[in-house]
Amino acid sequence: MIVSTLLAAALAVAVPPQRTDAPRPFAIQADKVLLGDGRAIENGVILVEGGVIRAVGAGVEVPRNASLHVHKGVASAGMIAMHSFSGAATGLRDSTRPVMPGVEIALAFDPEHEDFSKALAAGITSVVLTPPPQSLAGGVSALVKTSGGHIVTRNAQLSLGFSGQSLSTNKFPTSYSEALAELDRQFAKPTGAIAQAVSGKLPVLLETTTRQDVQRALAFAVKHKLSGAINGAAWAGELAAEIRESKLAVVCGPLDIGEDARSLRAVRALADAGIPFGFGLDAPWKDPAALRFGAALCVRAGLAPAAAWRGLTSGAAQILGVGDRIGSLERGREADIVLWSGDPLELASTVEAVYVDGVCVIGAER
Amino acid sequence: MSLLLSACLMTVPAIAPASAKDEPRRRWTIFADRIYTGAGRTVEGGMVVVNNGQISMLSVSRNDDDAQAETLKVFAVTPGMIDASVRITSGFPSVEQSREIAPDVRVADTLDVFAIDWSRQLRSGVTTVLVNPPDFDVIGGLGVVLKTGGPENIAARAVKPDAVLRGAMGRQPSDNNHPAFGRPSDFYSRRPTTRMGVEWEWRKAFYDAAASQRDVERGFPGSDRLVAVLKGELTLSIQAWTTQDIRTAVFLKEEIEREGLGTPRMFLDAAAEAWREPQLLVRSKTAVVLPPFQAEGRFSQQDGEASFMAWNVAKLLTDEGVLVALSSHGAEGLEGRLGMQAGYAMRGGLTFDQALAAVTINPARLLGVDSRVGTIEVGKDADLVLWSGPPFEPASRVVGVVLNGVLAIDPRPHE
Repeated sequence: MIVSTLLAAALAVAVPPQRTDAPRPFAIQADKVLLGDGRAIENGVILVEGGVIRAVGAGVEVPRNASLHVHKGVASAGMIAMHSFSGAATGLRDSTRPVMPGVEIALAFDPEHEDFSKALAAGITSVVLTPPPQSLAGGVSALVKTSGGHIVTRNAQLSLGFSGQSLSTNKFPTSYSEALAELDRQFAKPTGAIAQAVSGKLPVLLETTTRQDVQRALAFAVKHKLSGAINGAAWAGELAAEIRESKLAVVCGPLDIGEDARSLRAVRALADAGIPFGFGLDAPWKDPAALRFGAALCVRAGLAPAAAWRGLTSGAAQILGVGDRIGSLERGREADIVLWSGDPLELASTVEAVYVDGVCVIGAER
Repeated sequence: MSLLLSACLMTVPAIAPASAKDEPRRRWTIFADRIYTGAGRTVEGGMVVVNNGQISMLSVSRNDDDAQAETLKVFAVTPGMIDASVRITSGFPSVEQSREIAPDVRVADTLDVFAIDWSRQLRSGVTTVLVNPPDFDVIGGLGVVLKTGGPENIAARAVKPDAVLRGAMGRQPSDNNHPAFGRPSDFYSRRPTTRMGVEWEWRKAFYDAAASQRDVERGFPGSDRLVAVLKGELTLSIQAWTTQDIRTAVFLKEEIEREGLGTPRMFLDAAAEAWREPQLLVRSKTAVVLPPFQAEGRFSQQDGEASFMAWNVAKLLTDEGVLVALSSHGAEGLEGRLGMQAGYAMRGGLTFDQALAAVTINPARLLGVDSRVGTIEVGKDADLVLWSGPPFEPASRVVGVVLNGVLAIDPRPHE
């Protein structure tokens, strides 16, 4: 806590003047506070001290030394983008070897990159930086904050490739069967990150493109008793029964304006089957605004708004194993808060302020 | 034995059905003017009863008191057709090209159950197929026998996983390779670069595999599969279009036997020019799968190898005593329909019973699945094709298909 406020103080010197430091406690009152689990509080108050939420509720007492910011609009937890290449897109691809599970994407984290300030401006406070899907075992993803340079989880997921992108026509492996056989060989004598995945300490991120890839990935995960999530296949939801049996989660998207109805229905199928899911971003190839828009399109196609919002916040945090730290507005959570002009799932709503770890990084604090 | 098999059938799918009410009907009584069992018997004015995935009764029509069965009435019924050479793979990703000898690679792991080609085959009356890896490698891997419909999962559809070891003679496996020129940039700088080299790779693989039984150092990934071939436990399928490639394949088998390396069971695929060496095939007990009949009898290099096969080849070989199976070999359009190929073979001289055998029990025997499919007999899988007229006639259509006892293609008019 002290480290982060010190860091924030140090950064305050180097950054543009509109960023304000707030080491003393403060409170935000908003017309509507979205807690992150589907519940909302009218005229709720959020009390923050030391970068952590101390209290949330309708009748929270604001201490005398705390400043109060009254917001006309909606307050919510910051969104979590579950799959992205922010800040390092062209520098992540290493095609020298198909298997290099020891690579840590956290090493490619450049907090000063504009991808993060863009994500921040869209209301995204945390991003999972993922290895590119073109390797068989491309490395370990990292969960980072979009402001302040804080790494929430340095080793978040082991990335494994099951799509045709992991194959080549002139490099080993060229076939799905050999790719699976190579993964089986690696998992038969596991070391490092793979050993952690096998022992259940490190979840996996299975990269797919088609439903057939998903079936292969599920079979592999079940065989090696792995937990984690599937990413990539737009119609994964059509295999909801199999996914539920495997107990894996799904990262949907990225979805965008003009997404075909079948992909949107597939997201709803996941929710109907009770499968935990989140939304991916794939910045910089997709604009960060698409994260929220994609979820809103799913709502338009029949997904319950509460389920969509969970996928953007608390559900994503739970899939990443940090549900007790981020993704919801509750006592003890890190103070990642976004103030919106209206319901965030309304496309006309805009971001008016963003707090990361209790520091107001967008919007003037009054 | 069949009860055990049916119990296995019932428990194999790992995927639960969507809900009990979505379960397809599994009891059918099918009346037909002609039921061609493929087992040497034709029933005129008969009925086939299907229950729980199997043929439960076959007889002359009588009043069926079974209130739980729903009835269908068609002109003719044949066993579901079996195509011993289809090309429903994922293309390049279905064969491991980083090595030329890949006997351990399973094509089943590379297949896409959602590909539309499966339902195309099903609608044309083909219920069981052998899928092989594409022939870019000398030995491409293990082919799988599977049903063309059923649960949406490749493993659940497999009738016989790892059914054959597949490879090719001729020019095709050497196509992408080139001699080392300057500094090789990828693994395609290797042998074989000619059909001589292809045969050399085959012979080396077998000799090394045979030696590996005494000396472990001579083993290599997949050599255990080649040992299974030598012991006659795993059937070998070699693609050999031209006369010289057919000879090469058979001579290799005979050399293996002569040198005491083993006694492989082998059949040839796409053996277009088998008509030039019938006695060689009979003497070596080699069965053949023929590629689809072409309008002018000619195959080009793009089809596989430049070769010639007239429409009377099936009759010619059958009369000589060679076991013949027809196939579509991945052809599109009308010639991709196995039922049409049987009709062409009849035009070329085969009798109806011989043509029926060439698309049902012959491929079933070849693939070692004749205990389950290939004829209409009580206890076998309920795979049936329902025809609007005499089967294989150009004017006749496949109006219905029963697969694993489920009405996969419905002959009744839609409401």
